[in-house]
Amino acid sequence: MSESRRRLPLLRLAARNTRRNTRRTLLTMSAVLAAVAVVTFAFGYINGLLDDFLDSWARIQSGHVRITQSEYPARERFLPLHLNIPHLGELLPVIRSHPDVVEALPRIRTAVLVDNGDENTAGVVIGADLEREVGYLDILAMIQEGRAPQAGEAGLLVGHLLAGNLGVSVGDTLTLLGQTAYRSLGGLRAPITGLTATGVDPLDRVTIFLSFEQAQEMTYLDDATTEILVFVEDFEEAEATAASLQTELDPLVTGGVEAVSWRDQGEIFQLLDMADAIYAVIMFIFLFMAGLIIVNTMLMTVLERTQEFGMLSAMGMRTSHIFGLIISEGMIIGLIGAVIGGLVGSGFALWLETTGLNMAKAFEGMDWPVSTVFYPDWKLSHLIIGIALGVLTAGAATLLPARRAIRMKPAEALRE
Amino acid sequence: MTSVAWKPGSRTPVGMLVAALIGCPGLCPAVSAQPSAEEILRRVDANMTFDTARTTARMIISYSDGDVRELEFTSWAQGEDRSFLEFTSPARDAGSRFLRLGPDLMWIYLPRVGKSVRIQGHMLRQGLMGSDFSYGDASENPSLIEDYDAVIEGQEELDGRPTWILHLTGRTRDLAYPSERLWIDAERWVPLKEERYARSGRLLKTATLGDVRQVGGRWYPFRVTLDNALQADTSTTLEFIAFELEVSIPDEIFTLRHLEGGNL
Repeated sequence: MSESRRRLPLLRLAARNTRRNTRRTLLTMSAVLAAVAVVTFAFGYINGLLDDFLDSWARIQSGHVRITQSEYPARERFLPLHLNIPHLGELLPVIRSHPDVVEALPRIRTAVLVDNGDENTAGVVIGADLEREVGYLDILAMIQEGRAPQAGEAGLLVGHLLAGNLGVSVGDTLTLLGQTAYRSLGGLRAPITGLTATGVDPLDRVTIFLSFEQAQEMTYLDDATTEILVFVEDFEEAEATAASLQTELDPLVTGGVEAVSWRDQGEIFQLLDMADAIYAVIMFIFLFMAGLIIVNTMLMTVLERTQEFGMLSAMGMRTSHIFGLIISEGMIIGLIGAVIGGLVGSGFALWLETTGLNMAKAFEGMDWPVSTVFYPDWKLSHLIIGIALGVLTAGAATLLPARRAIRMKPAEALRE
Repeated sequence: MTSVAWKPGSRTPVGMLVAALIGCPGLCPAVSAQPSAEEILRRVDANMTFDTARTTARMIISYSDGDVRELEFTSWAQGEDRSFLEFTSPARDAGSRFLRLGPDLMWIYLPRVGKSVRIQGHMLRQGLMGSDFSYGDASENPSLIEDYDAVIEGQEELDGRPTWILHLTGRTRDLAYPSERLWIDAERWVPLKEERYARSGRLLKTATLGDVRQVGGRWYPFRVTLDNALQADTSTTLEFIAFELEVSIPDEIFTLRHLEGGNL
């Protein structure tokens, strides 16, 4: 008889054995099921969380490529306006006509003192092209009350929490004082035309949005900006676009500019690494727990069937076949559990893709600019990898009981 | 070493120099012939304090990247509390004004803003027009006699001048500079160098004073360079262009109405 023809009855025998103690089989199966469900869901959840974060981060902070004056990133915490990109009117058309570029948005960020006449507090002004930012830093969509300033109108869009702290509302006037591109003191006094809610409390506590032109006027950044955020068709290709833009812009700007892809802007990497580590830990914990349960139940199976294995051995069944039989039993249970678990986890992830998962409470008090409702991003590969991990864990966990079974001597096993 | 308390109306030399620009003068204590810490401080006070002053000065801010900004201003100072400062150049900064009516009572007015803003809290520690001089350096007028103990640490020659080195230690915990070290010209009784320290002992600011001239029978440094250790990429030099003492200043100057647009 050939080996392949022998394997078939072995699998059939293993499958039949799984039905001998239904309760134990169900216990083993449910351990795999739960672990694979969690792992499959976690794949989609973390993927969604990262996508959401990258998207928010790109729109708020990094763009897919960010262009700044060369020395700006190193001193960014001071928001230095004198380290600016000049000749904006000349550079923007060049950037926007690049074949990879979908949009290029100049922004000005500067620290200000916000004064309501009686008291003042620290704030951050973001000057941006309100119309072109739709779909990016969608300031118009953030307006909770009031309206955006009209073209040429000096008007402030104030974070609703900042407005609350200062006791001001739409129609009131605020004075802003801050630095200028000439490292001197500048300012602006204008009425509040609207209150904004970004959904991120730390931002809403400090941010004031201005039209780009108003921000330029306040900071003396004539025909200049502190940063240009570039968005491309495929953000995975951002590094190539950054390199290409760098080559194009270098001869145009004396003093130097730097085009950096989102991937090369430090903070993102730290977060990705952190998410990967968290994910690995979650996976390990759940699979390890499932593994422990499988080791336990399969060990009980082996101990209960000591005489049976002794008999099989005495009848001439090879130890490798006994080993294979037990491993197969574990993997069959694992496969069924993993498939059901994978489907459950996938179903849950797919359901949440439509409803979203509100994490507002979990993120309360955390100082990072992401939305608090997450949508998992499920992919077929998550299901396949989840099932494969479940089956492999079940197989690996059965190794110990199987090893014990084949170490028994037939005569002793029959006596037990 | 001799430990003495500072006399009312006295202040650290850089404070006095800034006071000459935007206020805080006081009456001069009598001078004795003994070179004790107390005598040295009295002689310094005699040179550095006044009732009223009108000053025109140039502020030169040098950046580590090679950039240099020059601003000019005129200031009026009266008594310990009142001062008014207006930048006159460059054109984009002309008309920027600062009014102080007492400790922690300071306002900024920018013509483009058209409304005064009171500077409070940590803002007083920010640089005046981006310089190394903080608004606090300008507006604070600590009563050093109450706040500091002084000792003579020794003598040293500095830029060819004999100096006494004094060390000041704050008596209260709420001082911007809990301790200071001063190099006082032993013949002209003006400070030539000043180091200001944090409570931790960390050096915060170093002032170098020079171009000492005689004005109305007293010696006075017409140049001070300030290095802020916390603002490492800049250094600011003040050069006096004109310095008039005991001038008549109308009360109207020290008002918010004048700050917000009145002409002199």
